Amino acid sequence: MMVVLHTIFSGLLCLQCISSVICTPQKDYFDEELLLKPLPSGHVYAYFQFTTLWDVDFEATSFQHCHLFPRALGEIVGRYNVQELHISLTEGLWRHETWGYPVHDAAPGAELWAWFKESTKNIDKTWKELAGALSGLLCVSFNFVDASNSLNPEFTFRPAGIVSSGAVNSSYLRYSTLPREIVCTENLTPWKKLLPCDAKKGLSTLLNAGHIHNTNYHSLGLHLRPVCRDTTCSQMSVELRQTVSLVYDMVILGTGNQDWSIKKLFGIGLSGACPLATMSNIYIDIALNETGAHFQLTPTPPAVITSTRGGHKSKFAVYDIKALDIDGMFNIAAVYSSSRVYGVNIPPVLFANRYIIGYGQERGGIVTKLHNGHWQALDVVYLENIPWFIPLYLHTLKIVANGKEIKPLLKRFIPGKARARPYYLEVALRLPARSITEISLEFDYVFLKWQEYPPDANHGFYIGAAVITSLLPVGRNYTGLPQDGSTITSSFNASRDGYLVQLRTETLIITMPTPDFSMPYNVICLTCTVIALAFGPLHNITTKRLRLKNKEQNYVIRWFKSKLTRSSEMKEKQS
Amino acid sequence: MANRIINMLLILLLLLVSSISTIRRSVPENFARAGHTNNWAVLVDTSRFWFNYRHVANVLSIYRSVKRLGIPDSQIILMVADDMACNPRNPRPATVFNNANQHINVYGDDVEVDYRGYEVTVENFVRLLTGRSPPGTPRSKQLLTDEGSNVLVYLTGHGGDGFLKFQDSEEVTSQELADAVEQMWQKRRYHEIFFMIDTCQAASLYEKFYSPNILSVASSLVGEDSLSHHVDPAIGVYIIDRYTYYALDFLERVEPDSTKTMGEFLAVCPKRVCISTVGVRKDLFSRDPHKVLITDFFGSLRPVELTVSGLNVTAIPRTQNRTRRSQKEREVPDRKLQYAKQFPTFIFES
Repeated sequence: MMVVLHTIFSGLLCLQCISSVICTPQKDYFDEELLLKPLPSGHVYAYFQFTTLWDVDFEATSFQHCHLFPRALGEIVGRYNVQELHISLTEGLWRHETWGYPVHDAAPGAELWAWFKESTKNIDKTWKELAGALSGLLCVSFNFVDASNSLNPEFTFRPAGIVSSGAVNSSYLRYSTLPREIVCTENLTPWKKLLPCDAKKGLSTLLNAGHIHNTNYHSLGLHLRPVCRDTTCSQMSVELRQTVSLVYDMVILGTGNQDWSIKKLFGIGLSGACPLATMSNIYIDIALNETGAHFQLTPTPPAVITSTRGGHKSKFAVYDIKALDIDGMFNIAAVYSSSRVYGVNIPPVLFANRYIIGYGQERGGIVTKLHNGHWQALDVVYLENIPWFIPLYLHTLKIVANGKEIKPLLKRFIPGKARARPYYLEVALRLPARSITEISLEFDYVFLKWQEYPPDANHGFYIGAAVITSLLPVGRNYTGLPQDGSTITSSFNASRDGYLVQLRTETLIITMPTPDFSMPYNVICLTCTVIALAFGPLHNITTKRLRLKNKEQNYVIRWFKSKLTRSSEMKEKQS
Repeated sequence: MANRIINMLLILLLLLVSSISTIRRSVPENFARAGHTNNWAVLVDTSRFWFNYRHVANVLSIYRSVKRLGIPDSQIILMVADDMACNPRNPRPATVFNNANQHINVYGDDVEVDYRGYEVTVENFVRLLTGRSPPGTPRSKQLLTDEGSNVLVYLTGHGGDGFLKFQDSEEVTSQELADAVEQMWQKRRYHEIFFMIDTCQAASLYEKFYSPNILSVASSLVGEDSLSHHVDPAIGVYIIDRYTYYALDFLERVEPDSTKTMGEFLAVCPKRVCISTVGVRKDLFSRDPHKVLITDFFGSLRPVELTVSGLNVTAIPRTQNRTRRSQKEREVPDRKLQYAKQFPTFIFES
């Protein structure tokens, strides 16, 4: 009886499966890629990208039936009227000068920015709710994001995907960072659950917590945008990129040599491709093989691609995991001919660093240095992201390039308001050729309200990273994907007019004047003592009457006295 | 012929009935008496700073156990006030161990922390218990219990007589906690609560409870300190507290189908190993702990509803769908779509 019921039921289920597949053809594709790039400094850069492309209109109703696209994210995106969403969770700092440009630049800590649809009513409220929902999805404290730490920069951020009209209205944009946010397994776990194959099969099996958090730099990313479905671009698709960037220090992790392999980096070999993936590739940048340290790849790459991009040539070994006949665990190893040889580091065209100046607990300053190594002038947009509790003075803004003060082409400034909005400063400037430009600003240190200090106030307060945007004319050190491409493959031979970089500088930490929190306790103790000491005598004086009284002398003294007086009397009598 | 069939059917029916009755007979005595319909866990570590590593190890030990015994992440609210696993001082990133020999990585590879860092406050904790979350709070940060829920509440941190410190900056008193629980009871947010606390003077935290169906256990009595188990020289701090260490040791031997009882669990840390006296409060709890399965609180009950009525699942006619789709496609070409310019070059042109 039960068996019959069971078969009928499962039959029905199957029927439903088949019918749903037939009726609503889900035109979606999932690609998984891994780019391994040995850096001249001896580090290895590993970049995972999991791309889900879905031929559907970017509407709230579209996300009610998901196939490869994560429904948990789709619901949030549909509910809060999101047009575009970018999240990054990063630990460590990307060193542009030695490592070149990453595929996705990310600020230390958590970074979140979103474009809302033009039909959105109350953007500040929606933004707060969106951040709250994402905090639950990814176990990040995004619920601290609100109007008091969000900006809507006018020039730095543009929609990465398609827009229906040419004009960009930045009032639909919100950008916020949480520079203090830590990133750990608890973020990786829900992030992995958004993948179609989870971490069960495919390249995502290489993401093991222990081998991700021992790196010099690790960054989780989630980028959602609408893209063109085809070259005519009359219809849109939804693109979701989930990325992981890792930088391994082979000197620390290796055993005395520079050799690396998939097993050594990720602690496990690859058992195969995700069955849902249309493409599952591993690319290894072997350009350094010719210019720097020489290494041999085993097994020999089935294909090698030469890519020319912006006048820069690079070579990639390509392993197609789907085409490989994997028996057991697959591993790619790079064996170096000599134990430790580093390549010549040619720093990228544009990089920056930032630091705090000043001393004492009254006034301070922030300096950002922009290095332009190009033979031509470079146009950059500089965005400052200063929390409300650091009052900034616009009149102290000074831009000095190679010792000469230069005038910015454009300035946008909205002063912060305590507990309501951060300081917003955006500057467009032209960096002279081969120059170091210093942008400096001064600020005051202020007291906060007693309750506003965090439990570990003496740790210091963080200032978010500045964002420097530029369109580079050359493709050297550039690994970013073109705007019209979705996968890493699309970046091969993708020469364009310019290459967009968005550098994030260091986050800064300052020690605010922190009150001594035990002070109230001390004050209470001291006052109580003083009052007790003062109260006793005062009480006595005021409540008791003072009266003179004959002093009752001691018996012994009296006896002596009487003796003395008697003897003197006797003497007097005798005399 | 018809008679034969009827006979066959009768025999079948008898067999079925008898088989059901035999199943009934083999059901354990207290299997169906649980009375609750779902399980939740609220696990809180209230201490910040690296030297309180042991409190994070405590809370993660219980997290690991309830997760292993079947409570899903969506029904576990984990509050951890500081990050120990990825702390720069941790020589083994992304791990938290329960002892110096790295016996169990209680942090694991699959963990979801719902409230972390500065989010762990008295306000959030009381809001969570009483269900007064601000609008827009995601589901994973809410305690969505009902009158059928058995809730395990585990607290660890630094406590004193009548209070528990949160993050070294604020505290919850035992009276506030008792009132929050009473509010839960009045709002029918629980069926039974098992309240565990591992702090100094822990028993003072459950003394003020006055709501029914609460079984409480504390690692130490009023006037006593709760002690840590041992130090790990590799990380330089104490690694776990005694009470939780032995509790985890016990829970590691419990399986989802175990018949171990709460009575056994309450005696998990005798004074000779715990050094402090474990306090138990049973007067608010109507059942005998020796007859309550440990899985009533640490395991999870999956609600199963048997139904005999059929469900009509018919496919949507294909033609209808196709027309809808083609209509949509016809609308589309009016739109002008293009990629936005990535860099505001117009600023520099003038």
